[in-house]
Amino acid sequence: MRKLRYFTAVIAVLVGVLTLTACGSDDSAASSSPQDTKTIDVKFEGGKVTPNGERVDVAVGQPVEFLVTADAPGEIHVHSDPEQQLEYEKGTTILKLDGFKTAGIIEVESHALEKTIVQLEVR
Amino acid sequence: MISAHGIGGARDLPISPELAIAGAVAALTVSFTVLAVAWRKPRYDEATSGRPAPGWLTGIVDARWWSVLWRVVGFLLFLYTAMVAVFGKDLLTNPLFGIFYVWWWVALVPLSLLFGRVWRAISPVRTINLLFARLSGGDPDTGLYRYPERLGHWPAAVGLYAFVWLELIYPHNSDLGPVRLWAAVYVALMLVGGVLFGNVFYERADPFEVYSSLVAKLSVWGRRDGALLLRSPLANLDTVPPRPGLGAVTSVLFGSTAFDSFKDSAHWLRFFQGSDFINEHGWAPNVVNNLALLGFCLAVGAIFSLGTVLTGVEPGFRRRSLPTLFAHSIVPIIVGYIIAHYLSYLLEAGEATLIKMSDPFSDGSNWFGTANWKVDYYFAYHPTLLADLKVLSVVLGHVVGVIAAHDRAIKLLPRRHQLTGQLPLLFAMVAFTIGGLWLLFSA
Repeated sequence: MRKLRYFTAVIAVLVGVLTLTACGSDDSAASSSPQDTKTIDVKFEGGKVTPNGERVDVAVGQPVEFLVTADAPGEIHVHSDPEQQLEYEKGTTILKLDGFKTAGIIEVESHALEKTIVQLEVR
Repeated sequence: MISAHGIGGARDLPISPELAIAGAVAALTVSFTVLAVAWRKPRYDEATSGRPAPGWLTGIVDARWWSVLWRVVGFLLFLYTAMVAVFGKDLLTNPLFGIFYVWWWVALVPLSLLFGRVWRAISPVRTINLLFARLSGGDPDTGLYRYPERLGHWPAAVGLYAFVWLELIYPHNSDLGPVRLWAAVYVALMLVGGVLFGNVFYERADPFEVYSSLVAKLSVWGRRDGALLLRSPLANLDTVPPRPGLGAVTSVLFGSTAFDSFKDSAHWLRFFQGSDFINEHGWAPNVVNNLALLGFCLAVGAIFSLGTVLTGVEPGFRRRSLPTLFAHSIVPIIVGYIIAHYLSYLLEAGEATLIKMSDPFSDGSNWFGTANWKVDYYFAYHPTLLADLKVLSVVLGHVVGVIAAHDRAIKLLPRRHQLTGQLPLLFAMVAFTIGGLWLLFSA
C-alpha cells in the first residue's frame, strides 16, 4: 500500500512538471515576415575588444551584421556550423552574416585575442 | 578562450525559467514525499534482490563466443583509434577527437545505462592483459601483488580528473599530440597495473571501467555468484560496493560536469574576460580555470560528505565511513545531469564522428560509406522538447537518488535518527539538483 501511494505521488509530480512545461513554453516564433538586420557594434582597440562576451538575442533566420571599428586588421570567428571566419580591415568594416537556420547559442570570438566577443542567442 | 566543445558548432539554448522552477519544485516535493510516505524497512538486499534472467539470455551472454565477440569489437575500435592517433593528420577532421571526447567519454554513459558493464566487456587493456596471460600461461585475474584494499577507487578518481582536466582546462586539448599522449599514458599505466595486480586493477582503478560499471548499476543487469540477474535499477544501485575513493569518483564526475556548464555561462565569461587582474597576468587564466575546476569537485565532495555525516549514529559506528556508504545514492543525480548536459552534443558530435571516421587520414576517402552523411540537428529544431527532456532527466535522477539514500539510511542509522538523520543529505541532494537546473537555466 505504502509503495502504491508513494509511486502515485511521484507520478503525479512528474505529470505536474510536464503539464507546467507544456503550457510554459512554445516554439512558435513567427519568423515568416522579412526581419530587420541585427547590427552589433564591435570595437577593437589596443589589444582589447568590446563588447565583452555579452548575450545578444537573435531570431532564427534574422540576418546579423557586425559594424567593426578596429585599429588593426584581423578576423573574427563565428562558431556556427559550418564555422565562419570574417576578415576586417583597419578602420570600419561591415561584416554580414546570413540568418541562422536553427536555434542555439553561437559564440563569436577573436582567436588572436582569445576572447569571446558576443554570444548570439538564436531562438 | 578555447571552446571546450571544440568539435561542435552551436550550443544548446538555456532552459526557460518556468521550466527550471517547475523542475526545482518537483525535486523538492518528491524529496519530502519520499521522506514522509516511503517504506520504513530496508527493501533492497543484495543477497535476494532481482530474479534470474531467462535461460536463453543467460545462454547467449555466458557463451564464450559472446565475450570473444565484444573483445574483438573493442580491440578493432582500439586499433582504429591507435591508427588515426599515429598516422592521422593534426586537424579537427581527424576522428580521434570525436572518438576520444564524445564516444569514449560521453557515449559510454548511455551505453552502460542500457547494456551494463560495457567498458569491462570491450576494454582493450583487459584484452591485452588476457592475451599476455594466455601467452605466458598465467591467470589474468591475478598479478604479482594483491591490490591494496585501501587504494580502492582512488586511482580511478585521479584518472577521471586527469581526463576532465585535459577536456576542460588544457588549452591545446584539440591538438593531436596531447590527446595521443594522454591515451598512450593511460594504456601504459593500465598494462603495468594489470601485470602488477591482475584484473582486479581494472575493476577498481581503470577510470573508464569504474565510471562505466558505476553507471551500469543503474541498468537492469546484475550478477550474483556469477549468475545473470534482472534487477530494478534501484535494487541494482544498492549493490555498489562501498570502496574507499568512491566518493572521490562521484565528486569528480559531478563537479567537472557542473564546471563545464558553468564556464560557458555568461556570468563566468564576463567575469573571466572582464577582470583586469586576469587580463594583466599571463598565468592567471590558466590558474583561475584550474582552481575553479578543483573548487567545483571539492565543493561537491564537501557538501555531500557534510550531508551524510550530520546524523546520529550507533555508538562505535565510524561516522567517517558514511560518505562512502551513501556515495551510490548520488550516482543517479550525476547520470541525470550528465544526460541533460550532453544529450544533444552526444547525438550531434557523435554522428559527426561517425562521418569523420570514414576518412581517417583526411584525404577525402570514404571507408565506411558514411562520409557523405549530414549531421541531423534534430534538437536544434526542437528546443522545447530538448529542454523538457533535460529537466525530466535531472528530476528523475533526483528521485532515484533520494529513494536510494532513504533505503540506505534506514539500513544504517539507528531508529530514532532515521528521519532526522536523512535531512542533511536530502538538503545536499536538493542543492545539487537545483544547482544543476540553475546551470541549465544560465547556460
